[in-house]
Amino acid sequence: MLKATFRSFLAHKARMVLSALAILLSVAFVAGTLMFTDTISKTFHELSRTAAADVTVKPKSEFREDRLGRTGQQPTVPESTVAAMRTVPGVADAHPDVTVTNVIVVDGKGKKVGLTSDPQVQAADWFPNKQSPVELGKGRAPQGPNEVVLDSDAADHNKVKIGDRVHVVAAPGAFDPTVVGLADYKTINPGVTLLFLDGTAARDRLLGKPGVVTSVSLTAQSGVDQKELKARVAAKLGTGFDIKTREEEADAASADLGQALNVIKYALLGFAGVSLLVGTFLIFNTFSMLVAQRTRELGLLRAIGASRADVNRSVLLEALLLAVVGSTLGLLGGLALGQGLLTLMRTVGVDLKGTPLEIKPATPIIAYTVGVLVTVVAAYLPARRAALVSPMAALREAGAPPAKSLRKRAIGGTVVTVLGAIALAVGASATKLDPAHGLALAGGLIGTLVGFIVLGPVLARLVIPWLAGTFPRLFGTVGRLSRENALRNPRRTGATAAALMIGVALVASLSVVATSMKDSVGKQIDQRLGADFTLQSSGGLNFAPEVAETVRKVPGVANVVRQRETEAKVLFDGSTETISVTGADPGIDAMMKQKYTAGNAADGLAAGRIALPESYVKNRRLGVGGTVTLRTPNGKSAELRVGAVIDDEGIGLGNSGAGMVGLDTLSKLVPELLDSVVMANTADGSKSSQVRAALDTALKPFPQVQLRDQADYKQTVQDQTNLILQMVYGLLGLAIIIAILGVVNTLALSVIERTREIGLLRAIGMSRVQLRRMIRLESAVIAVFGAVLGLALGVGWGVSAQRMLASQGLDVLTIPWLTIAEVVIGAGVVGLLAALLPALRASRMNVLAAISTE
Amino acid sequence: MSPGNRRRPPTTTPPANRLAEPDAYERIDHDDRAKGSAASSRALTKCYGEGETRVVALDEVDVEIGRGRFTAIMGPSGSGKSTLMHCLAGLDSVTSGHSWIGDTEITGLKDKDLTRLRRDKIGFIFQAFNLLPTLTALENITLPMDIAGVKPDPAWLDTVIDTVGLRDRLKHRPSELSGGQQQRVACARALASKPQIIFGDEPTGNLDSRSGAEVLGFLRSSVYDLGQTIVMVTHDPNAASYADRVLFLADGRVVDEMLSPTADTVLARMQRFARATS
Repeated sequence: MLKATFRSFLAHKARMVLSALAILLSVAFVAGTLMFTDTISKTFHELSRTAAADVTVKPKSEFREDRLGRTGQQPTVPESTVAAMRTVPGVADAHPDVTVTNVIVVDGKGKKVGLTSDPQVQAADWFPNKQSPVELGKGRAPQGPNEVVLDSDAADHNKVKIGDRVHVVAAPGAFDPTVVGLADYKTINPGVTLLFLDGTAARDRLLGKPGVVTSVSLTAQSGVDQKELKARVAAKLGTGFDIKTREEEADAASADLGQALNVIKYALLGFAGVSLLVGTFLIFNTFSMLVAQRTRELGLLRAIGASRADVNRSVLLEALLLAVVGSTLGLLGGLALGQGLLTLMRTVGVDLKGTPLEIKPATPIIAYTVGVLVTVVAAYLPARRAALVSPMAALREAGAPPAKSLRKRAIGGTVVTVLGAIALAVGASATKLDPAHGLALAGGLIGTLVGFIVLGPVLARLVIPWLAGTFPRLFGTVGRLSRENALRNPRRTGATAAALMIGVALVASLSVVATSMKDSVGKQIDQRLGADFTLQSSGGLNFAPEVAETVRKVPGVANVVRQRETEAKVLFDGSTETISVTGADPGIDAMMKQKYTAGNAADGLAAGRIALPESYVKNRRLGVGGTVTLRTPNGKSAELRVGAVIDDEGIGLGNSGAGMVGLDTLSKLVPELLDSVVMANTADGSKSSQVRAALDTALKPFPQVQLRDQADYKQTVQDQTNLILQMVYGLLGLAIIIAILGVVNTLALSVIERTREIGLLRAIGMSRVQLRRMIRLESAVIAVFGAVLGLALGVGWGVSAQRMLASQGLDVLTIPWLTIAEVVIGAGVVGLLAALLPALRASRMNVLAAISTE
Repeated sequence: MSPGNRRRPPTTTPPANRLAEPDAYERIDHDDRAKGSAASSRALTKCYGEGETRVVALDEVDVEIGRGRFTAIMGPSGSGKSTLMHCLAGLDSVTSGHSWIGDTEITGLKDKDLTRLRRDKIGFIFQAFNLLPTLTALENITLPMDIAGVKPDPAWLDTVIDTVGLRDRLKHRPSELSGGQQQRVACARALASKPQIIFGDEPTGNLDSRSGAEVLGFLRSSVYDLGQTIVMVTHDPNAASYADRVLFLADGRVVDEMLSPTADTVLARMQRFARATS
């Protein structure tokens, strides 16, 4: 029996090629994703480890460091503590570091220096040692306040040479130093542009305050344990410091990256999952058809004494062989994909400089498990059907088994679909976002999907005659034959179309949600954004008061409203919560139309008052007139009366959950805060385009400022949505490719199955051209059928999701009819293309050989 | 005038106008359609394999198939009778020699021309799997004309359908018809387009004797009453007895022929061959 199985597998290997390809693609995607993310996280962890000192001392803050960096409040350590650290036994050396990430470097042509359009720059004091990620390549170390060293990758990219001057914008102000040296990354370039100043210059230029540094790096004397040293330093310094050993520092540094990487990993694996699901249908169809074609052979096996279990096992074993072959090739494909992704990282500035792919032992195990599981599950039903073949089948005429009634399927499928639709409707009726409605929506998605898959064959009988209704009139007998062929085996047509349906449904639903989001945001911007011009910072670098002054002086500008932001703790009734707080000039109401559930903007922004978000006061016994304590990161605090409550329920898009105070109130607490947003309106009678041009000119010296008018603002949001959508389409492309392979597979196997019929048609005078057309039309109608089902399902999902999210600000429903029309036409074209090879093969058949096939 | 044409019943309508097809084969057989044979071959040779494994299936066969006659080709298994039919019908390529349908030489024709020739001039009845399962009986009957984009002649179609006795079965699919009925649909399809010649490859091989007799009787009446030309390959002496002429093949050569055969004389001849070769 085992020998028979192997022989059978080899004999039918050509028919399994596409199934193997489907497994290959899905497994390659899974394996490639794992290898890629493992490589990145290992490399970066290594990098952080080598770059970390034995023990690092940083300031401790109750706020997240990255958030603080963004508001321009760099936490620091007093330099005086360095001397104290040197006295700790076991410390060989203590080096005060200055490292900031909110810096912009501009070259002589006005372009930002870095590997990408919005480069990440890290500026630090020049202190080459064995932990430093770079070493001096050309030139010399920076000396004095007007010299810097750049990393050579960024310098090469911007063609900056030694001796050139660059414009550097840092938090304390801008300066124009000369590049005196270029530093080379020792191992890999993680996509960060590096700028170095000498120690004193770094303190002045980057921090603007004397006597403080951002961290202290301690080197242990040989033989001193890092943990022990950490404990000694902690004992010496007391609280208020964040002390980490090398390992802890490396872990902390890669934790953020790990989170971002996990998002990418699970997104990619999610798409791989969709591909696997789609591939399941392909494999299922292949095995169903193989079993049907081999009915006589299986009957013979049964007649000569094979048990049902033997036959069942034989088919499953064939599936296992297929899975092993497909998964092995998939692993190899994963290697290529992983390497390709690493290469792709170079476009975002991350150069791993030939780091080999990291292959964890789990990767091949997962790859094989996934490949085998999917294949065997897909082959399970066909295997069971094979076992049901009676020994009598050996004696009967070969051919498809009598078609079972679709009645049970119709009833079951309708029930599941209706239940799913009800769940979708329940989810869609949500007036606020809560887990119950989310669950209903998810259940509805699954229910309708399963229902449609079950109903597929029934729908094929209903929809295909209609889709192909004009075929006989347009293409004569050839058209009629292709319509009949598509309907001949509704189960097969249903399963083939289902694969395409899943991909199309996902694309359709996402595009409904995305276009709705685009239009909702557009509507919100129209309703809420009163400012004609918005200036925002880029690179987390806020701008000095002179920017607002400059804008105010531009002719045609009427009002200017500044905003400053910080993170802060709100203390009330024993509870402490972190919120972000905006300090704004009085005219904010005209620029950002916010709704208030109590009070108004003037009440909230008055001296000694605060406007708190509804989401904060909701569950507290707090309202207008109540008092809270606001504590800012620098440790200062103030008692503020609640002057207004901001309606942030359901706005979703925008700064939900943020409080607001007067600009003066905030500046008194945190004097060093700079402007993060400046909004401006044009005066009546002045032309917007002229004001824009004048603003552009006036803001030239401030590269950290991004100027947007309302149209730009909308465009920015739309570009973001489009980018996400394109990535999603690209990834779903894999699922659609596999679905197309499924169409090719079904057609190719159908052609084999109908060899005699094709021979007959050719014998009685059908030309090759007509035969090819017949197969192409059949393919097109199956593909369009799948696309139509997918669109119906996807639009249903999309609309339900939009209704559910309407309370979250997604209140405009837009159905992208153009995209939908494109998908239907595209499906037809794809169907025609999918039929190319099977049609060619059919038309090349030897007529005589075809007729006499068994 | 051949005897076949004389027997054509006067009720028959003249052949429907074919679409003008300026093909080589059409032009040649235009002027002397009435003359000559329906199909013929000269020194037709068909070999399989190369070198030591070379098998000669047909060895310089010369045959003439008369118009309006029912010819049976008989011979033991491996005698080359099916190969001869396939080569005469243009389904199989030949190693050397020539064959004609009417006055059109088909050896050397391209696939496109051969396909059109089969569609327009030849009818086929195979042993099994003659019908498309997705089409009804009537649709199967008119299929060659539908493929050609030609309207069937309704009067002729009626005649054919009545002759095969399928009027009440026209809407049925092949799976709803008995084996005999399916073969009669195949016969009707072969006749419906008024081909110059019909080739049958063991058309009754899969039928019980009663259904077989029905089909054979029908084939014979289509020759005698409708003036059709039929060539049938069979190994059954009883089936051969329905023909006007039997060609006997052995080892790829025509070894004998018999006119006005009966089952007994054919059987006797076959037995003589068997003795001679054993």
